[in-house]
Amino acid sequence: MPTEKKENHRLIPILKESAICLIVLTVATLVGYAFKMFRLTDTDIIMLYIIAVLVISIITSRMVYCLISSAVCVVLFNFFFTYPEFSLFAHAAGYPVTFVTMFITAFIAGSLANKLKRNMLIAKQNAKEKEEAALLAQNEQLRANMLRSISHDLRTPLTSISGNASTLISAGNTLDEPAKQQIYTDIYSESMWLIELVENLLYATRIEDGKMQLSISVEILDDLVLESVKHIRRSHPKRSIEVEMRDEIVPVLADANLIVQVIINLLDNAVKYSEDDTPVTISMRKEGDFAVVAVADVGHGIPDPEKDKIFEMFYTCGNRSYDSRRSLGLGLSLCKSIVDSHGGAITVRDNQPKGTVVSFTLPLGKVELHE
Amino acid sequence: MNEYLVLVVEDDIPIRTLITTTLKMNDYRYITASKGNEAIMLSASHTPDIIILDLGLPDIDGVEVIERIRTWSEVPIIVVSARSEDKDKILALDKGADDYLTKPFSVEELLARLRVIQRRLIKAENTLVTEFINGGLRIDYVSGCVYLNNNELHLTPIEYKLICLLAKNVGKVLTHKYIIQNIWGSSADNNEASLRVFMATLRKKLNDSQQSLIQTHIGIGYRMMKL
Repeated sequence: MPTEKKENHRLIPILKESAICLIVLTVATLVGYAFKMFRLTDTDIIMLYIIAVLVISIITSRMVYCLISSAVCVVLFNFFFTYPEFSLFAHAAGYPVTFVTMFITAFIAGSLANKLKRNMLIAKQNAKEKEEAALLAQNEQLRANMLRSISHDLRTPLTSISGNASTLISAGNTLDEPAKQQIYTDIYSESMWLIELVENLLYATRIEDGKMQLSISVEILDDLVLESVKHIRRSHPKRSIEVEMRDEIVPVLADANLIVQVIINLLDNAVKYSEDDTPVTISMRKEGDFAVVAVADVGHGIPDPEKDKIFEMFYTCGNRSYDSRRSLGLGLSLCKSIVDSHGGAITVRDNQPKGTVVSFTLPLGKVELHE
Repeated sequence: MNEYLVLVVEDDIPIRTLITTTLKMNDYRYITASKGNEAIMLSASHTPDIIILDLGLPDIDGVEVIERIRTWSEVPIIVVSARSEDKDKILALDKGADDYLTKPFSVEELLARLRVIQRRLIKAENTLVTEFINGGLRIDYVSGCVYLNNNELHLTPIEYKLICLLAKNVGKVLTHKYIIQNIWGSSADNNEASLRVFMATLRKKLNDSQQSLIQTHIGIGYRMMKL
């Protein structure tokens, strides 16, 4: 029953902390006996009990434990250590004052220690909250940057599409056939570019705290690669995409749609950053508990200083791009987020003799066959 | 002149124009509807050969349209839906749709899907109950043997059941759920992984690494193409 559970929930810490009090006080009393055997004075034993209360105050969460154990200390001291022993009577005249002083000292010291501890906890919590706020702000910043960059990226092709279409509407008759063809081609390729961008955007919105929400299942790697290759062959029908298939069946743990998107992005980059008449190769292999997918081109390659940066959001080698084809700064950072979330890794290296190889790993899946 | 009559159900005018223009240029006859109820009425009165159905309609849900039409007709239905809504597509396929197109789709894709359906319609007219022939694939139902280019394939019982199920529904996209229910009789989730492996081994035996015979539809299911 829920109420019972709730009560249990409250009861357990109380029992635990009471037990702590009991243990600490027992230890203090035992050590007190040792003190007495070594003929140390009452004062030393009182100090011992005050230390015990300090320890209790620091360990336990509430002030009430400090209060009770301060009182218990006085009783214990009275019972075990004042003459007559094992009774609550004290014959010497100064004892009532000693008891009161002992209680007050123990309680004040204890409550100070407890307060200190609480302040420390609060400070810790504040720091944590601050950290969370900073992360949130960072995410917000990332989102804001993304929106700004995307709005900018959207504006260019949209201008081209609407401008070209309006030219066709108003002056279509006066244009010759090659000019018209050029306009049609531009509209088509700009809108294809927009489609790819929106595709990536949809997946990017699933990133939270740099991590992606996944729906993982056992997938056959061949299926994922082939699906991506089909997509790229549709959008770049003239490019030669070579697939190095393996004979064995490789099951991987993956969110199929996301991994397909990763491979599409890698192939798309390879196609865009290499010459039209050169091949792009995709290959697969097993390595320990992981499958490795590698996309290789024989393009201009990426200089070493830029290799680390290409996975950053909105970084493009665009400044030096030798043609006017745009690339999405979103693509590779999205790939990295997706691969990282799968527990894999994405890396870039030089292809030999020239070009780039981007490869990523995926954990292998296990399948029990139901015959 | 193409003898096929296509019913286009789409409420978005530019998309509908795109589809009908494509149909016109490729000599299909077509009728259009912008609402679900209208689509149901037209499919009853005009008995179209193929239906292209958008899932997001203003009056009733596209899936409901499929359910209603399926009560009296086996007309092939291609559903059109926006991206990343696998669930909608799977539901539509389970309710009896034959294929799906994802927005944004290209004109070539639309025509390719129509051709797949047409090949199936031709096949439906001359079916042999004891034998299935598709390209180099031949299934002899009587002896329970499968041949690829006249060489007998050695299939496990599960693989044989799989290929028969795909053959029976040639040209149609079958969802994981549908296949699992028909092969194992249950829809236990862990069977999906073994289905993928069985399909991969079957494909190896069929020498079909390029998926020209059996297509994988990521996150959806499988389809045997009519060759």
